[in-house]
Amino acid sequence: MTVTMEKPKSGMSDGVYEREELLNGCQAVAQGVCLADVDVIAAYPIRPYTEVMDALSKLIADGAFDAEYIIADSEHSQFEIVKHASSVNARAFGGSSGTGWMYGMEALTVTATDRLPPMFVVGNRALDDPGAFGVEHNDAMAVRDLGWLLCWVTTPQEALEHVLIGYRVAEDKNVRMPMALAIDGAFLTHSQHIVKIPSVAAAKKFLPQYDLAERRLHPDNPISVAPQANEDWVMEIRRQNWEAAKRARGVIKEAYKEFNAIFGERYAQPYFDEYMTDDAETVLIGVGTVAAPGRTAVKRLREKGHKVGYVNLRWFRPFPTEELRACLSRFKSVGVVDRDFAHGSPDNCGILMHEIRSCLYPAKNRPAIVNFIGGLGGRDLSIADAQKMFDITAQAAKKDSMDGYITWIGLRE
Amino acid sequence: MIKRVEVQYRGIFQKNLAKKIGSDIVMIASSMGQRAFSNGRYSDAPERNGIPCKYFAFVSPDLSEEELEAECGAKLEIDEANVSVVLDDTMCKGVEPWGWHGVRPINERVVKDGCLVVITKRPHEELLQFIGKKPYNYRLATLDGEASLAGLWVNKDDLTYEHVLGAIAAVEPTIISIEAVEAYLMKKTKDKKRAEAARAAYNSLRQEAKPPRVKTVTPNEGIVWTHEIPVLPKWFEMQEGAVVPAVPRGFQMGPKGQSRNTGFKRGTTKTQRPAVRFDLCTKCTLCWAECPDECFDPTTDGYYDIEYQYCVGCGKCAEVCPVKECIVMVDELQFHDNNSPWEDWKKDPKTYITSLEAKKGTERVNYPVVTGKGVIVTKGEVMPEGKIVPVRKTEEVEV
Repeated sequence: MTVTMEKPKSGMSDGVYEREELLNGCQAVAQGVCLADVDVIAAYPIRPYTEVMDALSKLIADGAFDAEYIIADSEHSQFEIVKHASSVNARAFGGSSGTGWMYGMEALTVTATDRLPPMFVVGNRALDDPGAFGVEHNDAMAVRDLGWLLCWVTTPQEALEHVLIGYRVAEDKNVRMPMALAIDGAFLTHSQHIVKIPSVAAAKKFLPQYDLAERRLHPDNPISVAPQANEDWVMEIRRQNWEAAKRARGVIKEAYKEFNAIFGERYAQPYFDEYMTDDAETVLIGVGTVAAPGRTAVKRLREKGHKVGYVNLRWFRPFPTEELRACLSRFKSVGVVDRDFAHGSPDNCGILMHEIRSCLYPAKNRPAIVNFIGGLGGRDLSIADAQKMFDITAQAAKKDSMDGYITWIGLRE
Repeated sequence: MIKRVEVQYRGIFQKNLAKKIGSDIVMIASSMGQRAFSNGRYSDAPERNGIPCKYFAFVSPDLSEEELEAECGAKLEIDEANVSVVLDDTMCKGVEPWGWHGVRPINERVVKDGCLVVITKRPHEELLQFIGKKPYNYRLATLDGEASLAGLWVNKDDLTYEHVLGAIAAVEPTIISIEAVEAYLMKKTKDKKRAEAARAAYNSLRQEAKPPRVKTVTPNEGIVWTHEIPVLPKWFEMQEGAVVPAVPRGFQMGPKGQSRNTGFKRGTTKTQRPAVRFDLCTKCTLCWAECPDECFDPTTDGYYDIEYQYCVGCGKCAEVCPVKECIVMVDELQFHDNNSPWEDWKKDPKTYITSLEAKKGTERVNYPVVTGKGVIVTKGEVMPEGKIVPVRKTEEVEV
């Protein structure tokens, strides 16, 4: 099994990779945008996303990259610019964080309905208890039901690579959905690692030109995009989006296969990574950078003979229902780590917990399942926390009651 | 048993009136011990100026409120109407209240033996020149009066509302009885003239009234309806991403020379249409330039023809026209076709002018709809052929 902290295996000599640089998550995304040869960038600052736009403007100023770079007057305008650029067949890029992302929500909803495939990076940030800028996933999660592709990565290397993978999936003629690439605020946005940067040739080989074809808004192709649609049209439009979201699963799988073929065997599984799960009885599953302490805890608990494993869910939309159902029903108990909240929802669980519980409902062998809410507002999720979560999850397999169904991790109490 | 009332009204101008009628049917039917509720619906046209819209009221002596809501409420359009009230007789030409439903006959929802109540000054026969045929007998009641047109924020208190309640009581007393209407109006307003207005309308539509104002319409009467309902594509036949092909851009000189959207014409929006005396036209271009719906087609000899199917009757052209009596807004029911007026004029100028002046008459009707203050009638004159008299329009707009 691949652990994604590992560096790409291909060397510089074969022309697939060009150089190594020390990059944080934001800068890695910017490098990805550069390699994807994006045409239009719209920007409006909000941390932790801001460093993405800073890095891009520097790349352009340095002459390393050429794109239309537009500073908007708000996130709402920013996202509108991105959407409209995408509709005229320009590869477009935007991004935001936290409440900035929420402020542009109107544009985000329509981008999905219009079935346009720009990419947005979401530097995950808390939904703004006075000024909080630590990581929380509720911002990006807000688009989860709207017809978006939504994916979390855990390292700068993955972030760069998923700009390419994301555009490839989003722009596929069977998909054409907007892509949100989520990177944990601070823990990934501002965490520097040595990143192998693919060559332009390899990136070009992997990512074809963007072609909106018959939907390209152009004087030579006179169409109306998003005219007034009411009772007579909306259900049919929704049904089309539903279909595209279903088709996206196959396209994602195909994209990783091709990516592995060009860049070396980077990803063993397209939708999620499994770590030491082969004979595991107890696993944790989470999204984003909690994977690092999670997997490290697995390694250490394994040394003590515990049959534990970690599942890092990458693609949240489309949700890999069947694959994850098959995966998780192999275990005795599953602990779901939510760096988000869904106040007042069933059992007051986190969002990921709801999705996974719902996914497992039709499974023949349903594991015991417990929920952890932690790391909110950027609080640590440490190796010790992960070990504690494994312990609680393992206990759950032996219990019939709902005691300990939800545990807040790292809370002062 | 359910009794359904449909109130067909002109968007904005009659919205308050229609809502008031719907609401008070509920209150009056309730006072009679029945269950009732009312709702308004619109779709493509969120009640634009003059667009045909509908308000509904539903009454049942035996169903629960929830059953009544389930049967009648949770839908865009009702299935049938026992009484359909038409607040402006020009809607008898057909209504296009929902985009993509096409132009529908005014009596489409009227059930067998049901009643279409039209506020009008015209006899039944004249209205039936515009109304579609039904396969069964129904009643057509003409309630004496002018279309009451007001603005969105105002209620024009001209007793139309009281008249309509009285009319419904006359044609379908199981929905609301005249006694209940009178008692309700007295209790609510303590104003005897309102109850009397309802009673007068009621009396005018009773069987023994002279002249008889309720006529049984047989399947032979009315016109063959030629407008078709558009067929909408299935989900997999549509372009993705809410994309529709543009209306192909095209232009040539002459009548109907501009390409236009055939899917939604909106011509049923007008109560009046601009009538043009081409012989008085100075070719100043203002009508063509100012028309918000691009209804004017330039002709090779420098005039501006009108495509009436797309004209919503806003009156802007008549307002900006600098020549006396050149463009005048005229009652829509005076016209039986949407032919090119320029072609008619070219064919036979003398007949065109004579016939147009006959339709125009000498009363120039204007509805100050924003204030809801009623109808302004000014004196017009018949200009001799080619006599161009400039006008300076300096009248103040009422505020």
